[in-house]
Formats: sequence, C-alpha cells, structure tokens
Amino acid sequence: MVHALSEIQRVLKPLGTLLDLRAMEDTWPVEVVSSTGWQPSGRLEALPEMMADDEAADQAMREVESAGWFIKKRVEEFPYFYYWDTPSEMKEFTETDWEGLEKFSEEVYRKTASLWASANADARVRMRVRMHIARWEKA
Amino acid sequence: MSLQRDPENLEGKTLQRFVDFKDKRILEVGCGEGRLTWKYAAASSLTVGFDPDHSALRVARADCPPDLRGHTHFSGAGAQHIPFAKETFDIAILAWSL
Repeated sequence: MVHALSEIQRVLKPLGTLLDLRAMEDTWPVEVVSSTGWQPSGRLEALPEMMADDEAADQAMREVESAGWFIKKRVEEFPYFYYWDTPSEMKEFTETDWEGLEKFSEEVYRKTASLWASANADARVRMRVRMHIARWEKA
Repeated sequence: MSLQRDPENLEGKTLQRFVDFKDKRILEVGCGEGRLTWKYAAASSLTVGFDPDHSALRVARADCPPDLRGHTHFSGAGAQHIPFAKETFDIAILAWSL
C-alpha cells in the first residue's frame, strides 16, 4: 500500500489532491424501508480479515503522513445504501457477489423477511454502508 | 435482480463537495467498471482510470458515455507502477481501493 501511495505521490502535481474513498468494514445495518419510514432488522457482520484490511489502509495513510508526503485536510463519513426489492434478492446477492465478504446470518434474514412481509406493499430492503472520505494534499 | 446502489447519489454529492473537478487532470485508482468515474469525469480535462481487472475495464470502456470518450481513458494496471511522468495529475482518487 505504501509503495502504491508513493507512486501516486510521484504523479501528483505539487499541492495535488489525494482522495481516499472507501467503505468501512464494520457491521452494516440492514433495514426495511417503505413510504412510511424504515425499521432496522439486524446487521451484516464483517469478517476479521476485512477489518484487518481497514486497519492496514489506515496504517498506510499514517505512514505516508508521518513521512511528510501528504497532509490531511478534511475527513467525513456518509451513508451509502444498497437497495433490493426483496430480502431473498438481498440474500442471494450477498452469497454470490459478496462471497467471502460480509456475512448475512439466518437470524437477520428471518427478521428482515418478517418485517418486509408485514410492511407496506412498496417496502424494500436496504443495507447502510458507512463510507469514509478523506482529502489529502501533497506536501 | 433488483439491486440499486446509492440511488440518492450521496457518494457523488459528497465527492463534488470535497473537490472541484473542473478542468482538472484526474487519476482514479481502482476504477472497476467506471461506476464512480461517470460522476465526475465530465468536468475534468483528462480522466485516467486504472484497474488490474481487465473484464471490469471492458465494461467501463463499453459503458463510457459518448461525451466523455475524448478525455476519459482506462488502463489495465495497478498503482504499484503508474506509467505516467511525475507531476501529471491534479487529483488522484483511491476508489474503494486502499
């Protein structure tokens, strides 16, 4: 990671901007949402190796900051939503496209399906991902 | 499959609040299929998307809107070696890739 950051530092102009945009691999809330509001139904659990990747990324940024390559200018978090029409579509997606990533437990799936079944006809399910964005300036 | 990603475009709005892309030369590391690229590239003077996933890049090239094609390019590489001279870009984006 640090080598990649050194390459980026090389090709950036003086005072150039580095944007670090990524999903934080913690537990992601699952919600049933309809025109009348939303209800939490549980959380997807992050796998330990994904949490370790986050820590490695943070560590790499601390290293390049200490080395004087970049100066942190601004940091924020914002939500990023994934929506599905039904709980089963969400389950299928997490089991295929996210194989080896976040885990959707049977308990959370059952609760999500139950809330969705009793909600308004326009109800959908969504996952709330915590996003991190940081702006760094090339020193 | 009915998946919708970020229909509120919170990611695009946040990105625009953080940086002014107008007439900038931009490097995007981990551009994948270009999902994020389309949210800022129109304002840039040059956008170069990098990703080691060649199948994702094929999708990005195919999906690239006509008005971006003159100044938006994709390359099958990672950030370990960026084949550009020093001090080429105004902005580098690590797009879900650090």
